[in-house]
Amino acid sequence: MDQSAASGALVDSIRIIGFLCNWCSYGGADTAGVCRFKQPTDLRVVRVPCTGRVDPLFVAKPLIYGADGVLVSGCHPKDCHYAVGNLYARRRLEVLKNFLSFMGIDQRRFRYTWVSASEGQRWQQVVSEFSETIHAVGPNPLARK
Amino acid sequence: MSRAIFIPRDGLHPVLDRLSAEMDVWVPVASGPQKCGGEFVRYVPGTVPVLERQSTTPPKRILLPQVESLLSYAYVKDPEDASRVKINLQAEIAAKPTVVFGARPCDVRGFLLFDRVFTGGPFQDEYYRKRRENTFFATLVCRQWDAACFCSSVGSGPADMEGSDLRLTPLEDGFLVEAINRRAHPILKLMGGEQPTKTQLEAAENLQKETTEEQVGTGDLTHSGDDFRGRFEDLEYWRSMVSQCISCGVCTFVCPTCYCFSITDEMQGLEGERLRSWDSCMFYQYTLEASGHNPRPSKFERYRNRIGHKFSFIPAKYAGMIGCCGCGRCIRSCPVSIDIRKVVENLKENACACS
Amino acid sequence: MVIGWGTGYDPLHVTPVFLRGLEDVSRLIWNPLCVQNLTGYLVKGALTPPLEEGKKIGICVRGCDSRSLVALIQEKLLSRESLHIFGIPCRGTLDVRRLMNESGLSQIRSVTIQGDHLVVQNDEEAHRFPLERFLARRCLRCRHPNPVIYDELVYQPITPRTAPEDAYRDVEAMEARSLQERHLFWSSELDRCIRCYACRNACPLCICQDRCIAETREPRWLTQRVNLPEKFLYHFIHALHLAGRCTECGECERVCPMEIPVTLIKEKLNQITRDLLHYEAGLDPEALPPLLTYNPNEAGI
Repeated sequence: MDQSAASGALVDSIRIIGFLCNWCSYGGADTAGVCRFKQPTDLRVVRVPCTGRVDPLFVAKPLIYGADGVLVSGCHPKDCHYAVGNLYARRRLEVLKNFLSFMGIDQRRFRYTWVSASEGQRWQQVVSEFSETIHAVGPNPLARK
Repeated sequence: MSRAIFIPRDGLHPVLDRLSAEMDVWVPVASGPQKCGGEFVRYVPGTVPVLERQSTTPPKRILLPQVESLLSYAYVKDPEDASRVKINLQAEIAAKPTVVFGARPCDVRGFLLFDRVFTGGPFQDEYYRKRRENTFFATLVCRQWDAACFCSSVGSGPADMEGSDLRLTPLEDGFLVEAINRRAHPILKLMGGEQPTKTQLEAAENLQKETTEEQVGTGDLTHSGDDFRGRFEDLEYWRSMVSQCISCGVCTFVCPTCYCFSITDEMQGLEGERLRSWDSCMFYQYTLEASGHNPRPSKFERYRNRIGHKFSFIPAKYAGMIGCCGCGRCIRSCPVSIDIRKVVENLKENACACS
Repeated sequence: MVIGWGTGYDPLHVTPVFLRGLEDVSRLIWNPLCVQNLTGYLVKGALTPPLEEGKKIGICVRGCDSRSLVALIQEKLLSRESLHIFGIPCRGTLDVRRLMNESGLSQIRSVTIQGDHLVVQNDEEAHRFPLERFLARRCLRCRHPNPVIYDELVYQPITPRTAPEDAYRDVEAMEARSLQERHLFWSSELDRCIRCYACRNACPLCICQDRCIAETREPRWLTQRVNLPEKFLYHFIHALHLAGRCTECGECERVCPMEIPVTLIKEKLNQITRDLLHYEAGLDPEALPPLLTYNPNEAGI
């Protein structure tokens, strides 16, 4: 997408959907909030029990219907509350990540990452970076209306 | 005496340009540069009509869109008292004058059944009726049929103009267009075109005569109601005929006479739309009841219903008219090449047709 | 019972046949017009008649179909013991639609294969068509013409026409286009989708069949609308559920009445699972499809 659109009036309407696992990343985001780390406001958070619950379609549907970005975050590998949920997720999400651009969806709009409940700082960094990326990529051309 | 014009082969575009400036014009086109099939699209200047072969999908959706909004609604909460909610309803029926240019007799025949279903009874479907009244059919005298075509077997034929308003006869160097009824005269006038010569008129008449005499498809499928009823309980028969069926909806979606639909409310927040969309009796969900019971649990009951509806129930209800136009699309597009003619013809035989 | 192919409504069109006794065997044919993958019948819907306890079912498979069998056995949807597999090395099947369209033939009396040509006899004369020119896209990139699993091999094995490194050249050609071009391509292709679900129902591995989430109301993934996002999402559902499982038999693309190249979507997913997870579906009955398992020490992800 061109930069002019990204830096124009549409920037305010950027919408990012975040799927955060209950045990780590949701806690991490909470920690970041408690510590009053400054965070971008583009993210709408959906709490899921585990990244293993994240069907790749959870990511695909918002992107198809016009969300500007989707972020999935869970416990670090080998540190999953359910032992292996995020290991399943890692494979699925990596396959999806490589697939999106084939269908004409910018793969920078999707990111998955691992943030533990204590990593407030890291959460701030992840979310700021992703938000910056999405602002640079610009609004999703698939957005209706 | 019908009025007629001649459109030379290279003069088709100006005629359609003129027509499309005044009304919606639908023409069959190729589905894509390397595609074998075709479909009907709205003509805009530059569209290249393909009139030499039957389209994959019929012009059905022009009068019965795959999905249409019947009404839209919104709940409005009273700001003073949240327990009081008003519903605002809005329904608009938009019907623009429309010409379907280059359909075939079989394509148009489907609408004769739709007319009975949607406007023949005590309750009129306003959505359909309005569109129907505003639509004109310029129908080709069909000269291209293949092994799947069987319009003559269902009481029609390649030159059958029932339900059409204008007749297009393909000649060597162009088309002769004739108005069949009075309401088509303004359309003909709008088209412009040339005054046909006597030779052209004669050539067209000969072709029409010749085409009328053609027998497309063998046998007669119009009186199969009794045979169907005789076979209804014979599950072995249905198994032997349609074990290959994969329960997809191709046959119903490409069928010019299949009109079954579903109505759903699609809501988001406090607003929503009531949608009517095509449904298919080949789907398990079509007859699935809220209790979980399904009166047609397998493909055999479902396929039996498709045959029964077209060749027994419809004729019983609409004075012998059958629910099949013989276009052959369900045969041609079927992934496993099920032949509906064979299934209907074999209803008669006493012996099991599986061997 | 044996499932095989027989002549359909004309000699160019083949239909699956279900042989129930010796007297049916004469209906069986094999030629490049035998286009259907028959393995789906084993797992979807009621078999007729239902299998008797302890009795095997016979099935004719080409190379690609045999991989579907392997995938179904892997997922315990079929047991190897219940099958008697007639394997047929296959030189490729034809794109019948294209043949009909380009030849413009009607009134076909018979079809024979003579060397590299298909000879179609109609009312007037015999027409010869080079097989190579009318091969289906799926067959042009075939790497497994020989069945990978069988009880009896009907003909001599043949050499695969495509080297592994060429397997995904159609995918690569698509990726040479820009993101926007790709989006336009899929928009115009998928826009023609009529959601008849033939691609899903013809797929031997789309085993949810009547319980497909594309049609469930709860959860409600898709509405009745037929706009572009719904069609995109439907094809995402179809493809993602086959990631790492699809054996590229190409049935989805063949059966599509609207001629949408839907197999290409699955080819891309298979290319990804090959490169990322080093897995090729439908070859080893003992293996586990990569997305049904995990590796804590994953490299490269």
